Amino acid sequence: MLIKRRYGWEIPEHKVTPEALFLNRRTVLSGLAGAALTGIAGPARAEGDPSQGLYPAPVNPAYKDAGRAVTDEKYNTNYNNFYEFGTSKGIAAEAENLKIRPWEIAVDGEVDKPFVIGIDDLLKKVTLEERVYRHRCVEAWSMVVPWTGFPLKKLVELASPTADAKYVRFETFNNPEMASGQQPGLFGTMPWPYVEGLTMAEAMHDLTFVVTGAYGKPVAKSMGAPIRIHMPWKYGFKSIKSIIKVSFVKERPIGFWEQLQSSEYGFWANVNPQVPHPRWSQASEQVLGTGERIDTQLYNGYGEFVASLYQGLENEKLYM
Amino acid sequence: MQIRTLLSPWTDRAGRFSFLKTTVFVLVLLPALYYAVKLGQNDLGPLPYKEALHRIGDWTVRFLVVTLALTPLQRILMWPKLAVIRRMLGVTAFTYALIHFSLYVVNEKLDLVFVATEIVKRVYLTIGFTALIGLSLLAATSTDAALRKLGRNWKRLHMIVYGIAVLALLHYFMQSKIDVSQATLWSGFFLLLMIYRLAVKWRLALTPLTLAGCAVAAGLATALIEFAWYGIATGVDPVRVLKANLAFAYGLRPAWIVLIVGLIAALLPWIKPVYAAATTRLSPARNAATR
Ligand code: HEM
Repeated sequence: MLIKRRYGWEIPEHKVTPEALFLNRRTVLSGLAGAALTGIAGPARAEGDPSQGLYPAPVNPAYKDAGRAVTDEKYNTNYNNFYEFGTSKGIAAEAENLKIRPWEIAVDGEVDKPFVIGIDDLLKKVTLEERVYRHRCVEAWSMVVPWTGFPLKKLVELASPTADAKYVRFETFNNPEMASGQQPGLFGTMPWPYVEGLTMAEAMHDLTFVVTGAYGKPVAKSMGAPIRIHMPWKYGFKSIKSIIKVSFVKERPIGFWEQLQSSEYGFWANVNPQVPHPRWSQASEQVLGTGERIDTQLYNGYGEFVASLYQGLENEKLYM
Repeated sequence: MQIRTLLSPWTDRAGRFSFLKTTVFVLVLLPALYYAVKLGQNDLGPLPYKEALHRIGDWTVRFLVVTLALTPLQRILMWPKLAVIRRMLGVTAFTYALIHFSLYVVNEKLDLVFVATEIVKRVYLTIGFTALIGLSLLAATSTDAALRKLGRNWKRLHMIVYGIAVLALLHYFMQSKIDVSQATLWSGFFLLLMIYRLAVKWRLALTPLTLAGCAVAAGLATALIEFAWYGIATGVDPVRVLKANLAFAYGLRPAWIVLIVGLIAALLPWIKPVYAAATTRLSPARNAATR
């Protein structure tokens, strides 16, 4: 795993503009002074997000209210599990090193014709909408986020998978130059890249959302810019961040956390208050920033929509 | 007398003002005060009590290990006066453990039934709770009266502090997610102290050379613990974890930090005479008095 997999399109960008990365790091480090620098430096400006104009998108009335107050953005963007940038929750500054343009997504596996698409080209092919979802982390905390994006179903249609496709496997970048958590040293030993997967039925479900924005603007780097997944009825680790590859596969993918600790994190990871994590109870959850602790609901309260996905799968470890 | 030594953190047993003791007293209060103020200002992120619980947990382990370091330091430095802060540090470790536990209870909305069932159900909490009970026993018997009453048994009872430290470190490892660096580091320091004890037991003179040997042994043992943890408890390739120790450009791994701290400690016997000579020259009378 030490061998970093490079994709054709990945090499030139880092070779050509290492200054951009450098300047960007400096921006983070030096705060205001760095911000002034970005203003005059060409390469750094190229990092601006060209999709800005697409937000805010119209709210989908079916998901305009999650039944709880939307979590303050300052909490969501500063309390993240994004191990590519470090193991603490406070990786927001470090995650600013994430370079979100150019950003390409490879679609391959059991599809009619594999292709690579730039994020901005993809955004032209879809209609963005806003949905307010509840998010339940496996660590027994939760938040409510107004995401912007489009149903994964739409991407599946674009990919046009064959009948052999049984699962969708997602992959995050693996780029130690950009992500300090992937550098040699202890965290370089983790099974990068981050991988997650779901069944085709889950992928086609209307709730499964490809996220490109949040809070009426492009999604923050600390939250997995420029493109991530959100499945509100599963524990958060299933919803992969910063996707560079979507593969349609025959075999069930093994996720990053499942590889690390299969006794604690499984493939299904559906929220269930009755089934504790081996080390803690999942019966309740703390709502970020509110001081409240509330009872956790089966499938995070989305059971009426998703429970049917799991009929006949009772022998599976659906809740781990 | 017993009241005074308990109530006055700034005097030694003879009732004289102790600069060392006062300084340490102020220092051990600082982390708790810092987090109390931060909690008061609601400045600990979206889950403030959970954050405070974690940070106070870190300090509990630090104080526990520092308490255990006093006896070896006393020997290495030939500085018996260090004993005046041992009780205070031990009581500090207990107090922090109690704050840590209280923060857990508060974070669980004071639901004592839930807390009790969790302590029974989750092994790492059972272990933490056992350590807390152990520390309370030691704190309760840390008065002069208890010392007199228990006689030789006092020493025997207080030996359980080593077991408590092992439990505390195990709790530290078990509650960690995939990053056990801090748990490894503090276990490494603990091992260094245990190796000093072994050296004393084997009647080795604590010369710089012996101490350097202890440092090397502790460093290796630390790397081994990390290797074993990843190999046994996770899907991470432990050989790669071992190799990560050599990726110096990306930060020093716990094994090296333990080695370096151990090597610095090995220099202390050399520094001490220089320091002693200097102070004797400055105030021979006072120096004689403290001996
Ligand atoms: C001597 C006793 C104890 C010591 C030294 C200790 C130490 C620690 C340490 C170092 C951490 C990790 C902090 C971090 O770096 O994130 C921790 C976490 C924790 N401890 Fe303790 N602890 C003790 C007793 C207890 C007790 C009695 C309880 C509750 C019954 C408890 C509950 C917890 C919890 C809930 C966590 C956080 C786990 C998580 O967030 O997953 N501890 N403790």
